[in-house]
Amino acid sequence: MAKKVRRKKVPPKHPASSVKLSMTDKKTLAALRSVADDLTRTAQRGRAPHIRIPSRSLGNVRYNKAKRFIEMGSGTNRRELFNLAQAKSYMQTILVGSGCKKLIEQGKTTSIRGLFYLLKHTIEGTKEETFDQQSDCDPIIEDVEVALNAMREELHLYAKNAGSMVGPISLVDSGDEIDCSRMGSGGYNIPSIVEPNVVQFKECDAQFILHVEKDTVWRRFNEDKFWKQYQCILTHGGGQPPRGVRRMLNRLHNELKLPIYCLLDNDPWGYYIYSVIKQGSINLAYESKLMAIPKARYIGLRSKDYERCQLSPSVRIDLKQTDVKRAKQIAQYPWFETKKAWQKEIALMLKNGFKLEVEALISKDISYVTEVYVPERLEDRDFLD
Amino acid sequence: MGSPDRNRYNPDILNPSSPRTEKLSYRSTGGHPVGMAPRLRTESQRVKEYQALATSNGKKKKADSTRAARASKRPSDSKTRRVPNTAPANGKRRRVTAEAMAAKQRDISVGEFFAKNRHLLGFDNPRKALLTSVKEAVDNSLDACEEAGIVPEVWVRIEQTAPARFRVSIQDNGPGIMKKQIPLIFGKLLYGSKFHRLRMSRGQQGIGISAAGMYGMLTTGRPIKIVSKLSVRRPTHYYELQIDTKKNKPEILNGRGEGVDIPPGKAGRAYMQRHRIEWVGHYDAEEGDEPTEVRSGTRVTIEMEARYQRGRGSVDEYLEQTAIANPHVTLHYTDPEGTEHIYPRSTTDLPAEPKEIKPHPYGVELGRLVTMLKEGKTVTITQFLTSAFSRVSPAVARRICQTASVSTRASTRRIGREEADSLYQAIQVTKIKPPATDCVSPIGEDLLLQGLYRVVPGEFYCATTRPPAVYRGNPFQIEVALAYGGNSVVQKVTLDLLTELLSESDARTLRQFLIMTFDGLGVDAADRILKEAKLGTRQSPSKLPHDAIKTMHHAMRNVNISEGQSMQVLRYANRVPLQFKQRDCAITESVMKTNWRSYGLSQTRGSLPSGPISIMVHVASVWVPFTSESKEAIAAYPEIQRELRLGLQAVGRKLGMYLRRRKRVKQESDRRNIFLRYLGEVATAVSALNGTDRDALYAQLLAVAKRKTTEADARFDQRGQRIQEGSEDYGDNVLIVDQQPEDLLADKLANDDAQKKLF
Repeated sequence: MAKKVRRKKVPPKHPASSVKLSMTDKKTLAALRSVADDLTRTAQRGRAPHIRIPSRSLGNVRYNKAKRFIEMGSGTNRRELFNLAQAKSYMQTILVGSGCKKLIEQGKTTSIRGLFYLLKHTIEGTKEETFDQQSDCDPIIEDVEVALNAMREELHLYAKNAGSMVGPISLVDSGDEIDCSRMGSGGYNIPSIVEPNVVQFKECDAQFILHVEKDTVWRRFNEDKFWKQYQCILTHGGGQPPRGVRRMLNRLHNELKLPIYCLLDNDPWGYYIYSVIKQGSINLAYESKLMAIPKARYIGLRSKDYERCQLSPSVRIDLKQTDVKRAKQIAQYPWFETKKAWQKEIALMLKNGFKLEVEALISKDISYVTEVYVPERLEDRDFLD
Repeated sequence: MGSPDRNRYNPDILNPSSPRTEKLSYRSTGGHPVGMAPRLRTESQRVKEYQALATSNGKKKKADSTRAARASKRPSDSKTRRVPNTAPANGKRRRVTAEAMAAKQRDISVGEFFAKNRHLLGFDNPRKALLTSVKEAVDNSLDACEEAGIVPEVWVRIEQTAPARFRVSIQDNGPGIMKKQIPLIFGKLLYGSKFHRLRMSRGQQGIGISAAGMYGMLTTGRPIKIVSKLSVRRPTHYYELQIDTKKNKPEILNGRGEGVDIPPGKAGRAYMQRHRIEWVGHYDAEEGDEPTEVRSGTRVTIEMEARYQRGRGSVDEYLEQTAIANPHVTLHYTDPEGTEHIYPRSTTDLPAEPKEIKPHPYGVELGRLVTMLKEGKTVTITQFLTSAFSRVSPAVARRICQTASVSTRASTRRIGREEADSLYQAIQVTKIKPPATDCVSPIGEDLLLQGLYRVVPGEFYCATTRPPAVYRGNPFQIEVALAYGGNSVVQKVTLDLLTELLSESDARTLRQFLIMTFDGLGVDAADRILKEAKLGTRQSPSKLPHDAIKTMHHAMRNVNISEGQSMQVLRYANRVPLQFKQRDCAITESVMKTNWRSYGLSQTRGSLPSGPISIMVHVASVWVPFTSESKEAIAAYPEIQRELRLGLQAVGRKLGMYLRRRKRVKQESDRRNIFLRYLGEVATAVSALNGTDRDALYAQLLAVAKRKTTEADARFDQRGQRIQEGSEDYGDNVLIVDQQPEDLLADKLANDDAQKKLF
């Protein structure tokens, strides 16, 4: 059914005149069209069509020592229609392309979950769904991004919002002026698209940015008005920061020349969050130049903090087998490999045999983290690079 | 002595024609000292064991050792007490004297022996008795017809006369029986034509039909009735017989002990009607044609205590299986409900007439050799060897004599025990050509396929006939046919029939009912059906309410039982289906020992393979080695097992090829399906992207898909040549049904009258 409905809507091949296409939109549409044209030509010649998709694996990323972030290599994967293992993902790729075209032509954006629902339908004559769950759809969207060399925003897609910001800065978001120092207890919800055409910075009194891992800690800082006292922008990304948050941090850092300090958990997960903020993610290596912040610094938590802060033993969380494995993996990433401090840090954590969350500092005192821990670190300039 | 096996291999003991051996000489072993000996041994052994145990346990306690000492005295006590005969000197009184015992020792009549031991002949219970009677009569009829060169037509009728009492009548269109012979054939055990010769036939012993008559007489007191017609002009003989079990002699009840001659023609027909003598006078005719008269034949009617039940081991099953293995026979069967089933013949060609052969030297035992030497009419040993045995030329005879150090011209009458023994040994070491094997007439691969195809629905059939081989000097031949696929009987059964089967069943639980009634249904499948129907496995089948029957029927139709289904093995010996003792049979054993996994079936080690598969194995021989007189299982001679294995492997290989091919075709079409499934989506999406004509693009992609899948499936043989698909060589005699099994079933139901009812 869904399919029929969709097909009826598709025929107006030329976008409704009311929608005005921007230059990027036109560029994206042309890229999409060229993929389709390629397929049509191949089929006409009686050949099996395929799409070249840049590989998004660790094997195809390169750490650029000069620029100090991860770059995507030139390796590509062929995705063939007439290959049993790839037939379905080929179909899904084309489907995502057609969905994006529709969004662009109608001048609308949707979340990746929205696109999933837009494209999800039963394949005619079977009981099979085009996409079973969103996790089937997400990597395909990333494939389309890299294949078209277009940012997700250019495809009129956004990831779910996760991440807040508060601090002495005012900005314009979609024409609305927002004062981030007057955002109450919730803070400014960082949208997933923060490109200069959507968000423009107005005034900024901040000296640096403090990025914390999660909402709990961020709330502590906000409630204690840490940002007011220290003149900083306070952000969190709800764990692994989404693209919007990372892009925002990147822009704040580059355009306003603000240094960035990260307060993350002392576990492999926290290390990798830092790694993603600093060098860019392996998965989205193609966007590193827009996302990575090579000058970011890691304040904590540190492996030595258990003794340094004399934490109670009950806040320790034992390392699991997977944690140990992941830690060793991270230690071997080229951008960590050459940093002795980091090697020591990881080795100490493995030696301790436990991890620490930032929340553990609350066991000392509710405001220990805002009143003692972070100020001391800033004072001592005790960071990891 | 009572062991039937011995009788079979040393036939002279039971030679009914010589008055000396008319009765089984059977001595009681009651007080025989030899009979006691083993018991004594075990007794003393047991004491020793006890002693050993007692001493080992009693190492710490002295009391135990004294107990053991006391125990060690016991055996001598018991010896004197229990076996006075062995120690007459100890002064105790004898219980029975040799004289007194002698007064009780006497001959045992064959009739009495088998009346007491009727299970040996297949009359263990009323249900089996019915089947055995029908079976013996039908086998005899078919043998007679084939021997006389008449295309057989057999009428079987079973009527219920009282609760647990049935009248069975079997008529054939054979040559009929001479008046003088009728009482002997039907009223005397161990009388017949087939025992003394080595010739492939269904009957072997000359015991079956008279035993059926005797069983009828013992259970109902009614005589056995025989009608025999020799030709159109001669009078028809009518006899009512009883067997004097003591004397093993027939007693004629009608016509003042002489039987009755019914004149031919109209008068005879009137007489028969008056006296209610049943006789099928005419063959079934095509519409509009004049029915042809049955010119000769025999009809035997026996009334007996019996039980009629459908399902495994039933008369219905026997007749159906007979029809498979005997495609030249037309069977008419009227069941107790009056429904007539007809199994029409598919060919009018009689099987090649089996030849009678002389025994082969390798198959003769010493005792038999001595008897033959004594009976021999020839003068010299060379003449004797060449004339009494097959495959013994004068040269071979000379070699045997040389090895045995017996003069080639020695008189047979002068040969003593020792010379006979050395002759026997010499025969074993002399190389003698195997017997001629043209005396066995196989069914043939074509007819096997036809027979199986007619009765077992399936998609793949193949058959193989092994070249003849020899066990113990007896030629034999193995044939194997196989049918794969199709719905099982469980899925064919109608609700009415199921209700009926349930009410008839004597199974205690539902699971037992399913397994017993439906061939090839394993415990697994039965459990799955019952689980689906939400019925308890241990529920009683007879009291099932109608609703429960309905849900069970539904479950039987819908549960996929082909996995839990085990192979159905149809066993035949000389064209006679074997329905019992499946586990004891060499055929089943060979099927289970064969590794079917390498042919694409699933099989637990040492059991029947599973899957929708039926296999038919025919052992044809001049002398089929049954394990008992009731002819239910074949003995496992290594030569027979070997041939069975080779035959099974031959059909297995063909099945394996078919299954692999089918799997490949399925994979190929799966591949294609996967592509086809996504092509539509791709075409739609692309046309949305760049505005190409969706249908044209779809057609183009489809063409690529088709080319791609065939390309990917091209296979190469060892030399790198491309193998053409679909041109695989299965060898001869393979039948592949391309229809869907459901269509096939529908066709069969529409065409085949015999299939209107289950079995």
